[in-house]
Amino acid sequence: MFKKILIANRGEIAVRILRACRELGIKTIAIYSEADRQALHVRFADEAYLIGPSPARESYLRGDRIIDIARKSGADAIHPGYGFLAERADFASGCVDAGLVFIGPKASSIAAMGDKAIARTTVAKAGVTIVPGTEGEGPLRDDELLAIAPIIGFPLLIKATSGGGGKGMRDVHNIQEMPELLLSARREAESSFGDGNVYLEKLVEGAHHIEFQIMADQFGNVIHLGERECSIQRRHQKLIEESPSPFLADDEPLRQRMGAVAVQAALAVDYANAGTIEFLVDKERNFYFLEMNTRLQVEHPVTETVTGMDIVTEQIRVAFGLPLSRKQESIRCRGAAIECRINAEDPYNNFLPSTGRITLTQPPTGPGVRIDTGIYAGFEISPYYDPLITKMIVWGETRLQAIVRMRRALEEYKIVGIRTNIPFHQTMMDTYPFITGKYDTRFVEEQFSMIDAAENRELYLDIAALMATMVAYGQMEHRAQVYGQPGNRSNWKWANRPEKLIR
Amino acid sequence: MKYIAEVDGLEFPVEILDEHHARFGEEILEVDLAAVSGQPLYSMIVNGESFEGYVYPDEGSWQVLLLGCSYSVNIEDEREKRLRSSESGLIRADLEFTLKAPMPGLAIDVQVNEGQQVKKGQTLIILESMKMQNDLRAPIAGSIVRLRIKVGESVQQKQILLCIVPNSSGDTQI
Repeated sequence: MFKKILIANRGEIAVRILRACRELGIKTIAIYSEADRQALHVRFADEAYLIGPSPARESYLRGDRIIDIARKSGADAIHPGYGFLAERADFASGCVDAGLVFIGPKASSIAAMGDKAIARTTVAKAGVTIVPGTEGEGPLRDDELLAIAPIIGFPLLIKATSGGGGKGMRDVHNIQEMPELLLSARREAESSFGDGNVYLEKLVEGAHHIEFQIMADQFGNVIHLGERECSIQRRHQKLIEESPSPFLADDEPLRQRMGAVAVQAALAVDYANAGTIEFLVDKERNFYFLEMNTRLQVEHPVTETVTGMDIVTEQIRVAFGLPLSRKQESIRCRGAAIECRINAEDPYNNFLPSTGRITLTQPPTGPGVRIDTGIYAGFEISPYYDPLITKMIVWGETRLQAIVRMRRALEEYKIVGIRTNIPFHQTMMDTYPFITGKYDTRFVEEQFSMIDAAENRELYLDIAALMATMVAYGQMEHRAQVYGQPGNRSNWKWANRPEKLIR
Repeated sequence: MKYIAEVDGLEFPVEILDEHHARFGEEILEVDLAAVSGQPLYSMIVNGESFEGYVYPDEGSWQVLLLGCSYSVNIEDEREKRLRSSESGLIRADLEFTLKAPMPGLAIDVQVNEGQQVKKGQTLIILESMKMQNDLRAPIAGSIVRLRIKVGESVQQKQILLCIVPNSSGDTQI
């Protein structure tokens, strides 16, 4: 087995990979930016090296420096996690050229699937249905895209060719708004991925976003680990994922068909390691290939929870050259798992990012709850990176048990110092369409509002009033003790200083 | 001390009798409030019922996050009422718009210059935070004054970025 692995990532996923390495008895190397000196992944690792200043492009995206550190510190392999360099073919081949194992697919598979246009052509050739769009046409100029748009028809999506996570993606409803949206999509894609190329895709309405986890070894064995329903999204960012999909439910033939297509898509690019095939499924249960993510996925714990397979450990094993530890027949999904992505975003302030020092964190524990996080009290959330700070995954024998367990765990989870979207998840867990599993990708943006949802919930106006009054009284008393002495009191100071005390 | 707490248009008279008792409407409640680890997270026991919530000061009022819901609570005592009425005379009708950063971030583009005329809805600044780019647009038409941000600068939340003075017209209503 590998002796030492460098983890080219940060945050919760770096911690997740460190844990797998430690369980396998493999030494770990963390890298970090100036902002992350005190991050958990740095503290947990056997070795840690500063890679550069806080902005990602000067640190976590510096593939050359990372490979250099791996070589100098005697690593056998690099695990890229997700985001950053995970889907950069040049980084994967750079690792191999430096004599390091890249824990992921071959550079050629990343290139084939990473450029979404090529990916779509490849799977279309393999007989997989794709969503109509400018697939396989290579980089197009704005005037070309504007000419093609009416042919595909509105509404449509502008998507970044090298994109992911909703970055560089825009909904377009008419031709008039398209030039400006193209401009901003390209700009965001350029700054996120270093590639401003975009393509167009028909927007399938009332669609479900359902993806299949696949796992492949270097001997041509490919299995799938079932699906994840990822239709709870906001601005194309997934917020909640679950398995099994309540939309597929007990439609086992459809599940098997989609799983087989996922395996076929992986085989089409000679795939090895963990990957995810994303599908759009319309109301009539037609499914279309959307894209393949050639990496470990944020929501992989959902699949781990229902299948019992440790996907990160399996990734390391197959990268080392071992065959898959399980066969397709032995994959059984048990119960239901739900993941809530806890972001440093304020759901009461238009989901704007929230930064600052975490002053207290009290994660939920107890039966069926898993927390993957990189935060702790005292850690500073900086504006440089992704807002995802914690993933909470619960398991239940049934979907309903998973929902009530998630409710319980969300209320237990206390994070102070920054604002989080936990109240969003709490509201969602009480929302009828979610409980009944009748939601699609447009649900959050078109039918869900925190305010409307609150109207249907049990309210504690009196308790809130009392609590705020007691707190206000306590602070007033405190101020009175500090400033209450008679004497040389300036009204200017009186007006200004108490505000500072509140902070 | 007597307070009026207002939530969602409902007024709750609260009189703090001592540290552990409050008159809430007609009722006298036994209340115990404890800040968890000195944080704005509070455990409150009211006549034996236990609650936990966050209480944050929020521009003159209070935000309470309790059991997955947010409440905006306005609290007034007599002293504050007096203060408020004496201050209100100082607030002048201010017609210019001040653009503040809605979040901490990095200005990756500033599309206007001082003195420039802008249209309503025009993009002024592009702010990047946590890898997302946000267009900050002009809510009113006018000319840019006091531009206090340059490309590449980091800003704090609520930091003033610029002001827009509406184009003066003869029929300004004051």
